[in-house]
Amino acid sequence: MTTLVVAGLSTREVGRRWAALALVIALPFWFYLVRRDATGQSMRMLALGIGWAISTLTLFVVNASRGVDPRLRLTGAPVISIIGGRLLAMTGVGVALAGGYWILTWLDQDVLHLGAAALMMLVSAVVAAPLGSLIGALLPRELEGALALLSVVAVQMLADPAGLTAKLMPFWSVREIGTYAVDGGSFDMVWHGLAHAGVTWLICAGGTLALFQWRLRLARYPEP
Amino acid sequence: MTDWPSAFEAELLRLGVQPARARRLADETSLQAAETADAPGEVFGPAHLYARHLVAELSAPGAASPRTKFEPGPILLSLTGVSKRYRRQTVFTGVDLTVRGGEVAAIVGANGCGKSTLLRICAGLTRPSGGTVKRTRRVGFVPQDGGTAGWLTAEEHFTLFGAAAGMVPGRARSTGVHLATRLAWRPGRQQRAQQMSGGTRQKLNLVLGELHAPDLLLLDEPYQGFDQGTYVDFWQQVFAWRDAGRAIVVVTHLLHDLQNVDHVLDLGER
Repeated sequence: MTTLVVAGLSTREVGRRWAALALVIALPFWFYLVRRDATGQSMRMLALGIGWAISTLTLFVVNASRGVDPRLRLTGAPVISIIGGRLLAMTGVGVALAGGYWILTWLDQDVLHLGAAALMMLVSAVVAAPLGSLIGALLPRELEGALALLSVVAVQMLADPAGLTAKLMPFWSVREIGTYAVDGGSFDMVWHGLAHAGVTWLICAGGTLALFQWRLRLARYPEP
Repeated sequence: MTDWPSAFEAELLRLGVQPARARRLADETSLQAAETADAPGEVFGPAHLYARHLVAELSAPGAASPRTKFEPGPILLSLTGVSKRYRRQTVFTGVDLTVRGGEVAAIVGANGCGKSTLLRICAGLTRPSGGTVKRTRRVGFVPQDGGTAGWLTAEEHFTLFGAAAGMVPGRARSTGVHLATRLAWRPGRQQRAQQMSGGTRQKLNLVLGELHAPDLLLLDEPYQGFDQGTYVDFWQQVFAWRDAGRAIVVVTHLLHDLQNVDHVLDLGER
């Protein structure tokens, strides 16, 4: 139950930050708009924009909760409920954002595999939430975290998709699935993308959980 | 320029004392000063400070009659030879403290002497470098600042902290609102923590620390931003907790708090 309460209240918190929410919604749109004439480019940029927006939002939500988390632990909340609830909330926000933009591309673009395009955006949102959490866990200050995310997304955009650097980046799966969605080709690309997304999710979510288990650990004292 | 008795009486009135009682207290204070043949200002200090002190004393429970002393309960917190070191810097060493149920302990000391660190050690949020800590399992912690989510309302905080303690949302909210009324505060339904005054946010902090009915309460200067009335309400609440058999450890720098407590741990100069 704690997980669901944390998820519900985290969603409510984000929903009240109108300005931040507007910017999060707008960010992928600018990415999309500048290359709207080229379907492939605009779709990939849009999906990366969704990933960047959701990971940054998660980073800020994680950092904003630093004062509350130790008290929740002391009151009895397990770390997995605190982290899992927040991750659930931010993934939900990301999925909603991806759903909205999928409708936009459905109406505005001529996409070869519309289902794969939906999957691409979904994967971007689902990977972004734990990535933002992990960066937030590693870099407790917002500026440093935001700059780190900027670096990750910039490298992901600029690196050759076939090269090792791009494959080591968290959103390679988005480009791989996006290529199938827009240009067609072997369905194996979707499986490769999903496998990469799965591994990335496990590393980010597991890393976040491990770091917070350590950071929010309580000294175990014997009773007098 | 007003004389001392008039200034004293005016301050009593400002603090909400009834006019007749304020006049009587001013007269009695002047008479006490006359007995020593010194000016009231020399005996009691500045009029406004003595008026505040007197109001706090008169408002505290047990002020009219001697404080009821309950039998101390079981030991709920025990520190033996506790020390804390950050790299080569020693914050404190050899700290001993035992607090039983029904007792209040105060931690005092200069800025930077490690009062808050010691309280975090008691909570289990920071590990001691040496020594032994034993404490009861159910503990409530109220930090000096922070500890709340700026975009959530008080009732949402009650729900969140209640869920952490295994309470259903409805019960957590009603308990939180009930505890808030004891601090003369009715939480606004729409008001978020970031829109609250510093004192109100500290009341929220206090309620959150107490929401799960802990046996041991650890309070780090919890009255920051409190006005005089709330400050008195706070101490009444501390006495209520004490009389209910709980143990309270409070970090303070206000020396006149110390007469209200059972133990004083002075961490001294840094």
